Amino acid sequence: MLHVQNASVFFSARDGRMVHALDRATLDIDANSVVVALGASGCGKSTLLNAIAGFLPLSDGSITLDGQPVDKPGADRGVVFQKDTLLPWKSVAENVALGLKFAGVPARDRRERAEELLRLVGLDGFANAAPHELSGGMRQRVGIARALATDPKILLMDEPFGALDSLTREQMQELLIDVWARTGKRIFFITHSIEEALFLGTTVVVMSPRPGRIVARFDLDFVRQFAQERDVRAILSAPRFAELYDEIRNLVHRPHDRSHDGGDRPQ
Amino acid sequence: MTDLASRGAPLPTPTAAPTAAPKRVRLHPFGLDGAPTLLISLATGAALIGLWFLVAWLRLVPPLFLPGPEEVFTQFLAILDDGYAGATLGEHVSASLFRISTAALLAASFGIPLGLAMGLNRWVKGVFDTPIEFYWPLPPLAYLPLMIIWLGIGELSKIVLLTLAMFAPICLSAQAGVRSLPIERVNAALSLGATRWQLFLDIVLPSALPEILTGLRIGIGVGWSTLVAAELIAATRGIGFMIMSASHFLATDVVFVGIGIIAAWAFAFSYGMRLLERTLVPWKGKS
Ligand SMILES: Nc1ncnc2c1ncn2[C@@H]1O[C@H](COP(=O)(O)OP(=O)(O)OP(=O)(O)O)[C@@H](O)[C@H]1O
Ligand SMILES: [Mg+2]
Repeated sequence: MLHVQNASVFFSARDGRMVHALDRATLDIDANSVVVALGASGCGKSTLLNAIAGFLPLSDGSITLDGQPVDKPGADRGVVFQKDTLLPWKSVAENVALGLKFAGVPARDRRERAEELLRLVGLDGFANAAPHELSGGMRQRVGIARALATDPKILLMDEPFGALDSLTREQMQELLIDVWARTGKRIFFITHSIEEALFLGTTVVVMSPRPGRIVARFDLDFVRQFAQERDVRAILSAPRFAELYDEIRNLVHRPHDRSHDGGDRPQ
Repeated sequence: MTDLASRGAPLPTPTAAPTAAPKRVRLHPFGLDGAPTLLISLATGAALIGLWFLVAWLRLVPPLFLPGPEEVFTQFLAILDDGYAGATLGEHVSASLFRISTAALLAASFGIPLGLAMGLNRWVKGVFDTPIEFYWPLPPLAYLPLMIIWLGIGELSKIVLLTLAMFAPICLSAQAGVRSLPIERVNAALSLGATRWQLFLDIVLPSALPEILTGLRIGIGVGWSTLVAAELIAATRGIGFMIMSASHFLATDVVFVGIGIIAAWAFAFSYGMRLLERTLVPWKGKS
């Protein structure tokens, strides 16, 4: 279990002011769950993910993965970045197998595993392509395959489909659900699309900005339903989906409490 | 009708059938991006040589100042046969090539590791920044006399001089290569389980490679100008020396032969560097 306990992050901005990016976030990610963090731009979602990935130390609080404190990046947490970070000098297969290379897996096994993973994300036949020969959606799939290669305990995804068109995005969401259903990986997923959050999450946490705070939490079952029935329309037209959509929409769009910003609110 | 949407008219079918060999296209490049310039360059070269012929043939300039192309070529064959100033042409050329290659190897094998280390480590950067920043803007010929006083007139002083001249651009570009490394790339590798050493070998080094190669190219350019200048002043062998002793006898044609040989070799070196770049960093500019 991944356990985030009262995690707070303060940055210092360039002009020396302090930015309170994350305020006492508490979060559990259990086996077989997809936890989606949803919130407006700048509310601290990436900050939370970076802390879990080990890229960012906490100002206060703690993060543990299966009891081990998280303080630096490691292969037990696979990260899929918003911007693709594939290495341009390596082929698609070599990129996918990078983590295996670091782990000392022999070249032949690496290649086999990479091809397996590329099949999983629907890219068989592209093993020898160069990253720049792929489209944005394809590169993102390579990124997912790469993160899965080392068999991490959890996948951390920071708006992985944010830059994709809505059609590709839907395909990728279904692909991710397939991967999740097949591998049973825990997933922490960031988005600012309410629909995406509802569709993918077994748990959705809504964050409010400055200071970034988890203000609501919903437990859902749409993703399990989809994994079994594979019927998008049934989910999108479910009354519960529309209700939740409205509820979360009101939460996200609610003008946040201005008292933190120095009180220019009309008295 | 109160419909807000309806299905449009059927689409026309495409008229042209797909051909067996369709036209292949690629992204419009920006700037030059590998557009072929070879023919233009060859034409320019031919035009310049033609101009040279013309000027010599019309005797616009006395041959003492500008010998004609045939004269220079005849002189080249003569030097090839008999040598010049106490050494064969092969000895002059190999003396120069030995100096520049040795110095380039030394400069690269110190400059690249040190530059990388300076880009990665605060202490290395702090310690070596001052001496490098102090000496590298100096023209190498300014400290050539010092080299001669310290190391004598032999090969050592010239090689050390050349190494110093080439070292700075190589070292600085290796540093810049490390600095240009995006942090996301580092984080991605770390979260795939890279150790520090793997991070260096698989991420830092290849990321810095394009800039390192650029630095090598600049370094070798600096090397050629320093080499010839150093040989003009203190040598008994080498192309620069050949040019210098020819100028004492106003043998302008020999001077031209020397300049031509240097130009040819310098061109060969930079062409070799370009080939190296194409094989080592084919991805340059693509990501
Ligand atoms: N390195 C930093 N230094 C200073 N402030 C930072 C730094 N990184 C983030 N911040 C601030 O912390 C806050 C949260 O940033 P974060 O990147 O976590 O937002 P986000 O929720 O991921 O937004 P988006 O959806 O736009 O990616 C922002 O107000 C941002 O200005
Ligand atoms: Mg973000």
